[in-house]
Amino acid sequence: MRPVERLLMTAPTLFGVLIAAFLLLNVAPGDPVMAMVGERADSATIARLRAELHLDDPLPAQFGHYVWGVLRGDLGRSYITQRPIARDLAERFPKTVELALAAMTLAAGCGITLGLVSAVRPGGAVDRLAMLVSYIGVSFPVYWVALLLILVFAVALRWLPPSGSGGLAYLLMPALTLGMRSIAFLARMTRSAMLEVLASDFIRTARAKGLAERVVVLRHGFRNALIPVITVLGLDTGNYLTGSILTETIFGWPGLGRYVLAAIEKRDLPAIQGSILFMSLVFVVVNFVTDLLYAQADPRIAYD
Amino acid sequence: MVTLLFDGLTQFDPDGRLAPALADRWTVERNGLRYVFHLRPNVRFHDGTPLRPEAVRQTFLRVLSPSTKGGRAWPLYPIVGAEDYAAGRASDVRGMQPLGDSAVAFDLTEPLAIFAKFLAMPVASIVAAPPPSDTPEHPVGTGPWRFVAWRHDDYLLFSKNPAYWGGAPAADTLGVRILPEPLTRAAEFEAGRLSVLEVPFGETARWRERHPELLVEKPALRVVYVALNNRRGPLKDARVRRAINYGVNVPEILATVYGRRGIAARGAIPPGLPGSDTTRTRYGYDPEEAERLLAEAGYRHGFDAQLWRAGSNVELSRVAQAIQAQLERVGVRVELVERDASSQREAARKGQADMVLLDWWADYPDADNFLYPLFYSGSFGPGGNYAFYSDPVTDSLILLARRTADEATRIALYRQIDERVYRAAPWLYLWFPTDLWARRPDLSGWDMPVIFNGQRWTTVRRGAPTP
Repeated sequence: MRPVERLLMTAPTLFGVLIAAFLLLNVAPGDPVMAMVGERADSATIARLRAELHLDDPLPAQFGHYVWGVLRGDLGRSYITQRPIARDLAERFPKTVELALAAMTLAAGCGITLGLVSAVRPGGAVDRLAMLVSYIGVSFPVYWVALLLILVFAVALRWLPPSGSGGLAYLLMPALTLGMRSIAFLARMTRSAMLEVLASDFIRTARAKGLAERVVVLRHGFRNALIPVITVLGLDTGNYLTGSILTETIFGWPGLGRYVLAAIEKRDLPAIQGSILFMSLVFVVVNFVTDLLYAQADPRIAYD
Repeated sequence: MVTLLFDGLTQFDPDGRLAPALADRWTVERNGLRYVFHLRPNVRFHDGTPLRPEAVRQTFLRVLSPSTKGGRAWPLYPIVGAEDYAAGRASDVRGMQPLGDSAVAFDLTEPLAIFAKFLAMPVASIVAAPPPSDTPEHPVGTGPWRFVAWRHDDYLLFSKNPAYWGGAPAADTLGVRILPEPLTRAAEFEAGRLSVLEVPFGETARWRERHPELLVEKPALRVVYVALNNRRGPLKDARVRRAINYGVNVPEILATVYGRRGIAARGAIPPGLPGSDTTRTRYGYDPEEAERLLAEAGYRHGFDAQLWRAGSNVELSRVAQAIQAQLERVGVRVELVERDASSQREAARKGQADMVLLDWWADYPDADNFLYPLFYSGSFGPGGNYAFYSDPVTDSLILLARRTADEATRIALYRQIDERVYRAAPWLYLWFPTDLWARRPDLSGWDMPVIFNGQRWTTVRRGAPTP
């Protein structure tokens, strides 16, 4: 498949998401108007709002109304704040991107380095230490690590601000929390991929022709071990770019994750639907880009 | 937030007392049917526009307008013609007239002693007329603080309004942080980056031990209770409802699962409000009496019932479990139904739940706010009467109290109503929670408000207090 065709293939996926998001929230119990007006509204007001929001229309009509809006780039307005959802998302997405990039940089930098170092001398002290670190990273719950970081670095040592967003100092703890699993996972991934590659014939050949070990490991070994690493990075990037509910909530980071959580708590249907749709779009795009990167890293994979 | 930027015609102080605001005085005429509010002279909005009676009229029209998707306009409904206008049946509100350049008069559909309190609610805050087109983004009011910036889900920033009619605020700026996670909020406070904090529920014991000198504790204008649906099954019988009150050890639950953050209820009116009776005899824990009453009502072998609660509130979830365990002992087999808050509310509104564990907050600091919505038969369901309690005598007394201008008589009535309802036991009465806040030692001029809009931060400053 050519890249253009692959791109077109994403349309049915997104349409499926559209249907799923719409139906899921329509079968969920609870009346969104009740959440909107709060405790003490009279029945007349509630009935009027239901009518205005087309909530009493038949389902297909509601769906048509929604799709027509989406096609025009209109995700509707939040029930709670009355602000256009597209604008809300546009405002929060950059914050999520900022955090995701920081987390990915951290993950790629630390994870790959750890993996490489471990693979060079498997079973050595460095290897065992690195694998211990990655065990911890994979096993400890994000929530717990985040609070521990806050307790140590913000409350006890006062080196970093506990939460909020601003300069680099604000970015450090959330990025580490978010990237922790990736660091651990990438380290293991890189290590095993490297071990496999380093045992192959062409590496022996490279060594035999007298290349420096550094060149053997980095140019011949690492490049060939990159494919699985890119896969993991790609998947995680998709995850991070859609916002992390836990990390953003704990660190008071004003990104997509917070937005979605608030929308769910307040039963803000259009905001939830808009967010799901937007996140799916991000995910699809990231996967697409990952596929293109494969081809770059490995000439054997080609889209034709 | 509204309270910082805007003023109503009236306002509440931190103790919940009614005080003048944009109206420096008001008179009640025609036996309570007409209120005339005299505007404070020389008040200007943040953009320099002087305050005129027309602004009041325009503001209220906008709140009531059918195109405003608020649904919270009920405090203005007592005004003649307001409901017609809100329903789109009239083009103006007849009962609202600006008088000359400095007063505005309201004619009410019936006498209402607490109307001046209604106007202190955020929904009745006065905005400049005509309202700037982008009001929600750059609000312009007359309040002590001017709007500077709002980053959604992050913070709000205000600067002082030096021309504030009540005197310029002592501090230059005021920041409000939006932090959804309670433990993060606590960490921000402990790191010295917040001046005031509502202590997270789960942290109560630790803070009482570690920072007792920073804490302020006050009874809140709130009540936690279980609405017993007075129209469903065995709960129709008052003896059964009383049995439930006897069958639950309220002080024990309060101490064990609610961190002693409350006072056992002897009625629906919180102790901070006139009309509350702190000496009334409580039902008390008496399982034998509960069993006797159940047997008398024909439920010797008990019965099954559902107790609904919102899953999002962890503390109340534990309370529900404790109630379940205790009622089991007297033969009431309770099944817990856990839903999200809006599903729970919907079931309660429609009367589809036997029992619902609820928490009621005051909108305005008056005993009426704990009787009219909760026990008046016209407030069934969405109005707040989730117990579907209906008693013609209670109804007429509640309405009489609303019409009674004399404060002492009115308060005596509230005490009487509360007593009458308490004996009928439409609820399982639990407790009045207390609020627990912490403030930094360098903060002065801050008093914990009993009602959400009772603190305007004008006298608050950081650093040593000036003598």
